[in-house]
Amino acid sequence: MALVIVGFLVVIVLLESDGLASWANHLEIGPLRTVAVPVTAAVQKTLHPLGVAAIRDRALEALARVGWTDDAALLAKAANPPHTCDLPGASGCAPSAASNISNPAFTTGSGANTPDHSAHNPFLNAPGARTPLLGDVPRTTVLAPMPPVEPGKPRVVVLTGDSMMAVGLSAELMREAAGDKNLRIVKAFRSGTGLARPEVFNWMDEYPAMLGEVKPDVVIVAIGANDGQGFVVDGKVLPYGSEEWRKVYQERIAEFLAMVEEGGPRVVWVGLPPMRGHIYDEKITDLNRITYTVVSQSPQATWWNPVPYVGDDAGKYREYVTLDGGQTIKIRSSDGIHLSDEGAGLLTSVLLKWLDPPAPTANGAVAAPAAAPAVQARPAVKHKKHASRKAKG
Amino acid sequence: MLFPTVEYALFFLVVLAVAWSLYRFPTAHKSFLLLASYIFYGFWNWAYIPLLFGISLFSGLVAQRIQRSQTISARKCWLAAGVTVCLATLGYYKYTGFLLTTLLQVWGRFAPPPHIQVYSPLLPLGISFFIFHAISLLCDCYRGKVREPVNLGDALLYVAFFPQLIAGPILRASRFLPQLAIRRNPNSIRVNRAFLLIVGGLFKKVVISNMLATRLVEPVFAVPQSFGAWDTLLAVYGYAAQIYCDFSGYTDIAIGCALLLGYRFPRNFNAPYTATDPQDFWRRWHISLSSWLRDYLYFPLGGSRKGKLRTYINLMVTMLLGGLWHGAAWTFVAWGGLHGFYLVVHRLWSRIGWRPLVRWRATTAWRWASRILLFHAVCAGWVFFRASSFATAYTVFGRLTVPGTATLATGPVLIVLFLGLAGQYMPPRWRNGFEIELGRWPALARGAVLAVAIATIEILGPTGVAPFIYFQF
Repeated sequence: MALVIVGFLVVIVLLESDGLASWANHLEIGPLRTVAVPVTAAVQKTLHPLGVAAIRDRALEALARVGWTDDAALLAKAANPPHTCDLPGASGCAPSAASNISNPAFTTGSGANTPDHSAHNPFLNAPGARTPLLGDVPRTTVLAPMPPVEPGKPRVVVLTGDSMMAVGLSAELMREAAGDKNLRIVKAFRSGTGLARPEVFNWMDEYPAMLGEVKPDVVIVAIGANDGQGFVVDGKVLPYGSEEWRKVYQERIAEFLAMVEEGGPRVVWVGLPPMRGHIYDEKITDLNRITYTVVSQSPQATWWNPVPYVGDDAGKYREYVTLDGGQTIKIRSSDGIHLSDEGAGLLTSVLLKWLDPPAPTANGAVAAPAAAPAVQARPAVKHKKHASRKAKG
Repeated sequence: MLFPTVEYALFFLVVLAVAWSLYRFPTAHKSFLLLASYIFYGFWNWAYIPLLFGISLFSGLVAQRIQRSQTISARKCWLAAGVTVCLATLGYYKYTGFLLTTLLQVWGRFAPPPHIQVYSPLLPLGISFFIFHAISLLCDCYRGKVREPVNLGDALLYVAFFPQLIAGPILRASRFLPQLAIRRNPNSIRVNRAFLLIVGGLFKKVVISNMLATRLVEPVFAVPQSFGAWDTLLAVYGYAAQIYCDFSGYTDIAIGCALLLGYRFPRNFNAPYTATDPQDFWRRWHISLSSWLRDYLYFPLGGSRKGKLRTYINLMVTMLLGGLWHGAAWTFVAWGGLHGFYLVVHRLWSRIGWRPLVRWRATTAWRWASRILLFHAVCAGWVFFRASSFATAYTVFGRLTVPGTATLATGPVLIVLFLGLAGQYMPPRWRNGFEIELGRWPALARGAVLAVAIATIEILGPTGVAPFIYFQF
């Protein structure tokens, strides 16, 4: 058995040196990463001349070309193969932030893979990138009314974010909007991602690839539940919550926001709901402050607080909501983090009324905007078939 | 720690090396495996290690009391106490939220429900499995199937042994404890078989299950309203293949890892979609659970010994509780009930002794017809199992009648769907033959082949690793 394992280890390291380096870079900041990054980078550098990694890359691109992958960025890369360099700094290579990020394996030492935003990022000076942090987020926020949808021209709504969008919210929105010819919903979300660590999943690459030719009228963002972690910038570990960390994270939020605002869509940034775990909830409150600070600087975007719908009277986590009809629903999933479908329904009923407001009446008046409930302390809740029911808290 | 990750690979290689270096010292060997199992579990959440340790210790102590008791009534008392505590623990962690929601919903129909703020407890990973292991230890001791006095260390390792800790297969104490009593022999390990199981399991999970989940099943079950009949039908077939490949893939890896450590786990799947009747299906699907339910629930209820009606009731009760074991939701109960119904109908059908029918049943044509019929009946059950609510399940069924094109039927999806379903018809002799052939190769070459296979799986699999479906149970 020992010889089999030796044979296995030798060949797997040879074949997967890139993958191992990538794995090490994806690890959370901690002792394992501190050891794994330099070791795997050294192995990768040693084995790189053999060219196995290039074969692997070509295999992945070939698979993408035949539709084997659904990774939007990889598909785009396969469709338009860029002029790539095997090693950073090779002659004739035009480095880009995107290529640096999506090749975390090419790092040497701790965090050299961090993209150089200042050199290449067109969104660096996005509003809010350097605004001092605002205080507590507002409990209620107003979604400025949308004009009624023009007949025959459905409103294109892009849903983007991490699992906070993927679990509950997106499915509920799509289900509720399935019969609505005024809305066209486009999925551009990915679980297990975030904005804190572009070397793990780079939204600046992936979002445009996911969107393709789509020109959104509205973008709904729900992201950040995985962002309460440290990261590395220019070889320096920035612990979560430090001043430097906040500054960089704020910049990343601003860049992402500027990107999703391209083309002029309205943006609704759904704040993170209160969480069950006390320590985690404090992180989420902090992250909400940062996103609110950035988003509130943009006239195109609204930071929308879900607390009136899914929080308790004190704005904290709650698991059950009793509707006016007496029905009690469980609004959170069993992990204490995500919304259940029914909990998401409390938000989507409001969002859908806002997205597709009633057309003007015969005398030209427009009915009261559906989004108005967003400012109510105890919001009107339309949940599935219980349109008239209201949450009691 | 998920099996198809670098973290697990590193962990397992270290455990393998250290465990075999200690095999001459059984106590140290087993203590190390126990420590490794707690580290494995702690990767998910250290906070629940006391629960795992507590249940293991408790069941070990009660098992000892059962063995030492002189009278049947004393043994019964200890058994009842042990099983009650185990089930109460499972009930508290797994069913509190479910019961509370149901209670409040029923209450709301008659009177305004109270405005209470309660939290259902977080579900510890693998609790359904380690509680069933603990119960198996108690029952096997009660029945005298564990002949040697239970050693507490062995009991702790039996419940917590990491390859089976999270999602089975469910081991019987009477079959696993004797393995702990003998010294490991490194020369008796079927290394090639273990590697084939691990590689096959990884392929099923990483390539087939993950691709079907992300490209076919999740889109349709999230918003069935957006899809027509062909996509919906493919998604239902896709889920049948996904759940099989996901779960059998997990248990294949578990069995392979245990085998490399020198332990034998029971087979958990045997080409279930080739079954020709519901009883046959349950002899092939999640065998360790179905035999557990049979031995520790169906038989104690009376099995088929107390008349026809009682047999049918026992079947229904067993399957309903089996459904509830899978998840704290009424959709799982419906899934179990549907399978109970299938079993009852099959019993009634089997009793018909009309000669032409009996002869017809023996034909190949009938076997294939019943295979196809059963597969679709099982698929109907999977709709309830997968759907987040009855409304979604009914919508899925409804969409099967709505014309539409197969927008999700891409080449890769159809290939993995075919592999997931048709792979069950692969003759067992192929794998055995490959194992024998592999055995003729030099050891280093075998390792290289294994590495190439795993690298290929890594390239073919979608990015990211989805958790195993059965982790939630």
